[in-house]
Amino acid sequence: MIVPEVVPAITVSLFLPALYVGLLVGFIALLGISFQKKDLHALILTDIVGVGMLIIVAAVGTDLAEALILPGLVVQLAEIMAISEILMSREMRKTGKKVSFMPMPLKMNMEILKTAPNFLSLVLIVYGIFLTGFTGGAVAGVGILFYALSRKSRGLPFKLWEGVSGISGVAWCIWLAGFLILFVTPEIWLLGLLMSSFGILLKVASKMGLIGVLGREEIKRD
Amino acid sequence: MDIATLGGQLLGQIPLGDIVLYLTPFNLFMFVGALIFTTLIAISRTETQVEAEFGSLNDNEVKVGLKEFKIRRFLAVVCGLATAGAMITGDVFNFTLLVALIGILNIGIVSAVKQIDVLNAAFQYGLIAMIASLPLFGGAAIILASTGTLSILEIAQLSFTTPMMFFASLLLILGIAGETGIAPFYATKAEMFRTPGSPFIIIIHLSSLLVIVRAIEILLIINKPF
Repeated sequence: MIVPEVVPAITVSLFLPALYVGLLVGFIALLGISFQKKDLHALILTDIVGVGMLIIVAAVGTDLAEALILPGLVVQLAEIMAISEILMSREMRKTGKKVSFMPMPLKMNMEILKTAPNFLSLVLIVYGIFLTGFTGGAVAGVGILFYALSRKSRGLPFKLWEGVSGISGVAWCIWLAGFLILFVTPEIWLLGLLMSSFGILLKVASKMGLIGVLGREEIKRD
Repeated sequence: MDIATLGGQLLGQIPLGDIVLYLTPFNLFMFVGALIFTTLIAISRTETQVEAEFGSLNDNEVKVGLKEFKIRRFLAVVCGLATAGAMITGDVFNFTLLVALIGILNIGIVSAVKQIDVLNAAFQYGLIAMIASLPLFGGAAIILASTGTLSILEIAQLSFTTPMMFFASLLLILGIAGETGIAPFYATKAEMFRTPGSPFIIIIHLSSLLVIVRAIEILLIINKPF
């Protein structure tokens, strides 16, 4: 028997209904896409197919399935970002107009946007470093994103942004090396753990910087 | 079906924790082939498309700019490495992940072009690739649910096949077909090859070809039809 004895029968019996629900969600989304004529709506409806995929993977409910869910989610996110970039650049080429990376409805030139961001983002980043790991990275990333959004009206320092993306790459390598240490030489697990936890802190925190660099000419204006 | 029957003599295994790679002449040949092609791409320059101008005797050259060239070469090299990884991996999960990566990179290679119709085709191909991630990961998940493992070596030693495993491999081949854009979905991908910058475009072809050959091996191992 594949399923261990400790798993209750009702949990095992839930697998097939969950599988059907996942396939049904995918089918409904495909129907929606087939009725749709606008490209943007088709793109948004395609995301529902991804939800169906997550339901099917989650229905398995083991730790290996959990290892499948996270990459599935990331792949889905990466694909929807890539395709929406293609859609935007196609529309920009069609109409000949440029669109800013983070559009704002009105030109805000307020005192608070010059003084507050430095302090608030510093608080968030320090708190994020104190938390460490994935959560800390997310908190620090919010701090950096907040800084970028509020400084946007005055133009972002492009050189600094490239540096942030460089840090992100190095941090990713540290994270990978930490994991490699855990697998290859388990005796020094503490070093591996610290390397991977601080690596992912820097990585997640600087993710927003990466999005910023991939963003367009708006940011290059120094 | 036995691994040795399909891929020739089992030359060895590389155990990395619970991820075990296995080496057969079949795997190694495709792995090295993908790597050689990736090296060729990394050192080559792009083509320049020459179009005859209408109403005059001049030619119109479509060139690829340096910045676009660099990005495209990087993406093509990563695509080649992902293909090589998909050839050598001994794990259904890693295989699906690398196939999904190849799908994203294929979109990325053509995403920086200026031709509107190529961007249109890339958008359609992207939609198909995204939809195909449901059968791809869903198939891998159902294989995990029906066999209890994702390692191909373990699956090859199972003595039984269930209808659920057959269903899962149907989903898997559907997902791979959509993600790499082969026959039923080829119409979405065909227009993408009209963009200039030839050696990088060929990796899109080569990756889908090699991935399909490897996918057939994996499906034969899972289903044991003979």
